[in-house]
Order: sequence, then structure tokens, then C-alpha cells
Amino acid sequence: MNKLIGGLLVSALALAATPAFAQDALTLQLKWVTQAQFAGYLVAESKGFYDAENLDVTILPGGPNIAPEQVIAGGGADIIVTWMAAGMAARETGVPLVNIAQPFKRSGLMMICPTETGIKTAADFPGHTLGVWFFGNEYPFFAWMNKEGIATDGSEGGVTVLQQSFDIQPMIQGQADCISVMTYNEYGQALDAGYGPDNLTIFNYSEMGNDLLEDGLYVMEDTLADPAKVDAYTRFVKASMQGWAYALENPEEAAQIVVDMDETGAATLEHQLYMTGEVSKLVDATDPALDTATYERTVKALLDQKIIKAQPEGAYSTVVTDALK
Amino acid sequence: MNRAGLSRLQMVLALAAGLTGLVGLVLSLPSLGAAPLLALFFALSTVSLARFVLPLTVWLDGALAVLAAIALLAGLTTGVTLPGHHWLALLAGWAFAWLFVERLAAAIRAGSLPETGTSLLIPTVFGLALLVIWEVVTRGANVPPVILPPPSAIGARFVTEIPILWADFVQTFVKSVLPGYAIGCLAGLGVAILVDRSPFLKAGIMPIGNFMSALPIIGIAPIMVMWFGFDWQSKAAVVVAMTFFPMLVNTVAGLNAASAIERDLMATYAASYRQTLLKLRLPAAAPFIFNALKINSTLALIGAIVAEFFGTPVVGMGFRISTGVGRLAIDLVWAEIAVAAIAGSAFYGVIALIERGVTFWHPSVRGGRA
Repeated sequence: MNKLIGGLLVSALALAATPAFAQDALTLQLKWVTQAQFAGYLVAESKGFYDAENLDVTILPGGPNIAPEQVIAGGGADIIVTWMAAGMAARETGVPLVNIAQPFKRSGLMMICPTETGIKTAADFPGHTLGVWFFGNEYPFFAWMNKEGIATDGSEGGVTVLQQSFDIQPMIQGQADCISVMTYNEYGQALDAGYGPDNLTIFNYSEMGNDLLEDGLYVMEDTLADPAKVDAYTRFVKASMQGWAYALENPEEAAQIVVDMDETGAATLEHQLYMTGEVSKLVDATDPALDTATYERTVKALLDQKIIKAQPEGAYSTVVTDALK
Repeated sequence: MNRAGLSRLQMVLALAAGLTGLVGLVLSLPSLGAAPLLALFFALSTVSLARFVLPLTVWLDGALAVLAAIALLAGLTTGVTLPGHHWLALLAGWAFAWLFVERLAAAIRAGSLPETGTSLLIPTVFGLALLVIWEVVTRGANVPPVILPPPSAIGARFVTEIPILWADFVQTFVKSVLPGYAIGCLAGLGVAILVDRSPFLKAGIMPIGNFMSALPIIGIAPIMVMWFGFDWQSKAAVVVAMTFFPMLVNTVAGLNAASAIERDLMATYAASYRQTLLKLRLPAAAPFIFNALKINSTLALIGAIVAEFFGTPVVGMGFRISTGVGRLAIDLVWAEIAVAAIAGSAFYGVIALIERGVTFWHPSVRGGRA
């Protein structure tokens, strides 16, 4: 009897502790598996920054066979993290995505070639096999090749393109002469495998000016007509940037949070710490606004390469980032 | 059978079609002029209720189903959800198509219609009805094309992308599936004959064979890519691994199909092992071997496509399906699925035809005729 009364009291207290108003529920679809690439969002969730903004955020991990654009089109998410090239291409196929914030200012994409292949500049590429990730990640590579005037369709004097696995195996096994890596992920694997600036030729997309905007936050266009939604997005971006700032200041704690939040158990503390360090070079935690000059350059590259056919209209909105200023 | 010569199911279908048409007629009365074909269909469906007094020909039901399809397809406009009475027309049209097929089948059974030709009409009507429903539902209800594109968009994509689809077909089917299938099936057959001769191999290989055949393909595929590289060789290797064991297990069972008395007869003829194998046991095993060939024909295609998800040169059906989803080119993915379905069915059909010729003596082929 005492237990029953005790139980009732506890539940009554729990009820009283719940805020009287409901939290706004938002679902975020990540572009890839739970890792420090998304440290800002994971830290914001773990440290309660979203709760403080009265948001109930669900973070869905991605993976090799999850297209965030398709998830949001099917109503499975409110906000997605994706690359601008994939987002703009989806926009043209009938998923009206709008960029509301761009925490990643620089690209983490690189192509690396072991020096024994003899490749020193992009002019050495013809006749070689290059590893590229597909599933929406191939656009920067094709835009770059287009700029260099190198054929990728298997014709004479061009390069052979290989659909690459999400690791550095193709380079180690010699199946590809050059492979794609992210500074914050696979490049670390290459360093662990004994590769480095001494025995690698590194093509950094940002340094070559060939970077297309990476991890941005995208929502469906029609939801921006709803002021309540815009308000929720604004609080979401604010809390996320708080999360990014915290993660970049406390990389060790952030890496531990990422490892704890990875339900697959695949993330290791050492690698996530490396990733946090590398991601901090790409993210500006103080300013989530999209840089329109980089946006224009990205759109031009996509148009030049015929990834999109028409100049996109209304593909980004500053309504959220303006509200934060 | 009642006076109209209809079975119970046919009566229910006729009633449902006619009454849906009547309701549609009433609902569409205010906007009757806007869609004259639809109005005509509703009017004729209502008239068809007269079948309970007058016998109506089976072809009328077919014509009404076709009219419904035409009226519905003509009523589709982009970006607008179809009004309620269009959906009634879809229901009524489906009921007429079903009734038509039911009555055709009954007429063939009764012998009043010839079997050749008319029996082909039934699957054709069924398939076309499914396509019309798919088209009307996806476009009429504004289903986003990235979730499910209408068949017309898939067909258009199919036609414009024939060079790509052909290159993918050559890479996957001609280069990976066919060699892998041939090697896997021949090896399975050869090992089965060895196993049959040697009790040692039988006791050793068969349990391992069963174990290996249970290995998931997504487990083997990345390993094969590591061993044999990214091109078609690794896909052919996956196909070999997938087709070998069904062939082995089936052939071993088939080689035991010849009865003891038949083997005794061969022994009294002083036939050698080779002669017994070639003249008695392999022919007796043929139905089992063809069974494995048919199972493997579809397995091989699945194996090659899935193996391509784990890294390929940028061509191939599996590559196109996996990257098409990432690029949201879902109509291209469906076109590729159509190619896979056509190739798989044709492959299966060719083997079934060869089987008919080879195992002409088997009861399942001669259909009980002596």
C-alpha cells in the first residue's frame, strides 16, 4: 500500500515537472552515420541545448543507402543535412529544398594519389583510375573534371572512374590510382596506414577553389510559409550553433558524446577526436549564414556541368539566419 | 448459374460495376459536360445493369473497361488531384475488367471460345489494368515522383535512356551473369558427379555445401570485390558462389533418382559406370538439374546486381539502381528494374523451353499423355 502511494506521488511529481506547453518536435536526418561530422547537433541534443529552446529533436543517422533528400520528400524528416549539389539536383527533380543555414564554410573533400603513381598535377590524370563516391557525392568531382576538360566517359585521353567504397581499400589494393577522402575521416585512415604528405599527392577541393558547399541545413520550401515552423527552425539553428561552439571548444567531451550517441557501436573515441579536430577547421560556429558568393560559385559549377539545367530560384533563405543576428 | 448465365462472383462484380457507375453518374451530373467520355462511361455502366434481364455479351464488359481506362487517362491533369467521381470510375473500370476476365475464363472452360489467343488476352488485360491503376493513382493523387513515378514517366525514361540501359545490361548480364552462371552450374554438376562416386567426398562436401549456400550474399560480395577487383570478375565470382550449391545439392539428389531395378538392368547388360551414368542416371537426373538451372537463373541476376552495390566501374544495373536512388532519378531506377525483370524472365523462359525439349519423357512435360 505504501509502495502504491509512493508510486502515485512520484508520478504526480513527474507530471508536475513536465512543462505545461508541448515542445516543438523536429526530426533531423543526418547525411551519414553518427560521427563527429555532426558533432554540433549531437552535442546540442546531449547537452540539452534543444530542450532549452523548447525543441524536441530526433536525430536520425544516415548511411550508405540513405538519401536524406528522399527521406524529407517522403515526410520522414523536417530538416536534413546534405551537400548543396545533391540538394540542388533534388530541387530540380521535384523536391523543393531550401538552404536555411550553412555551418560548414569549407569543403573537407580531397583526392589523394600515392606518389608512386607519378601523378603530380591534374594534367597527369588521363589514363588513370580515380575512385569517386556516388549517391549524391559525385558532383564536386565531375564539376572539377569538367573544369579541367578531362573526359570521364571512358573515351580516349580521359580517366576511368570507379565507384569507390567508403574506405581507403581501393588505394591500398591498387585498384584505383587516386581515391576520394574526407579530411576528417578517410584521410585519417590513410595517415594510420602509413600514408602522409611525403608519399601522397593531395588535391584539396577547397584550396583548388573547386569546393561545392557541403553539410548545410535544408527544409522543404512550403514549410517556410508557416511562421511557427520558421520560429522552430530559428531556435533549432541557434541551439545547433551553440552545440557546434561547445563541441569545438571541448573536443574531447564532444568525441565522447558522439561515441555514446552512436547506437551501432562502430565509432571509436580516438577517431572521433581526430574528426572533431579536422571538422573544426571547416565549421564556423559563430556564423551559420550562407555565404552568397560561395553559393553563386557552387551554382555556376553545377550549371556548367549540367547537373542542374536552370538557375535555381529561391533555393536558399536567409530568414532564419537573419533572425539570429 | 442464373438466367443471365452468370456465376455468383460474376453477379457480384456486375452489380458492383453497374451500381458504382450509377453513383458516379449521379455525382458527376453537375459537371457532366466537362468530361464527356467519363459521362458516357457512367451512363453505359448504368445501362449494363440491364444484364440481369437481357444477356449481354462478354465483349461489352471488355469495351467498358477500355472506355473507363481511356476516360480516366484523358482526365489526368498535372498538379490537380482528381475529384471523387473519377475514383468511382476507377473502381467501376476495375470491376468491369475483372468481370471481363472472369467471363472469358468461363467461356474458355465451356469451350465457347478458342483457347489459343483468348488465354493470352487474360494476362494482358490484367497487366494493362495494373498499369492504368498505377498511372491514375500516382498522377491523380499527386504522389511525389520521388516516392513512386507513374509508369508513363518510367516508359519515357526507358526510351530516352536506351544507350545507358543497354550498357548496363551488357556489363551486368552478359559480362557478369552469363559466365558466372555457366561456371557455377558446370562446377556444381561436375562436383556432384565426383561426390556421387566418392562416399568420402559426399560425407565431407555436402554439409559444407549446405553451410556455404546459407551464407548471405551481402557478406560475400565485399570480399569478392577485394579478391577479384571492381570490374565484372568479382560479380561473376559472387554468381559462381551463389549458383554452385543449388546445382550441387539438386544434382546429387537427381543422381539417386534412378531406381534400383533400373540400375540392376544396366548391370545385367554389363554396362560400365560411364554408360550407366550417361544413359540412365544423368537423364533420370535431368528434371532435378533443370530445376537447379531455373532457380539459378534468377539467383544469378540478383547476385550480380547486389554485388554491384559494393563498388563497380561506373556502369552496371546494380550501380545504376544504387546511385539512381541517391540522385533521386527514381524513374531511371524503375526503368532499370524493368530491364532486370525482362532479362530475368527471358532467361528463365529460355531454360524452361530447353527443359521441355530435353525432358520430353517426364510426366510434368507430357502432361499425363502417354
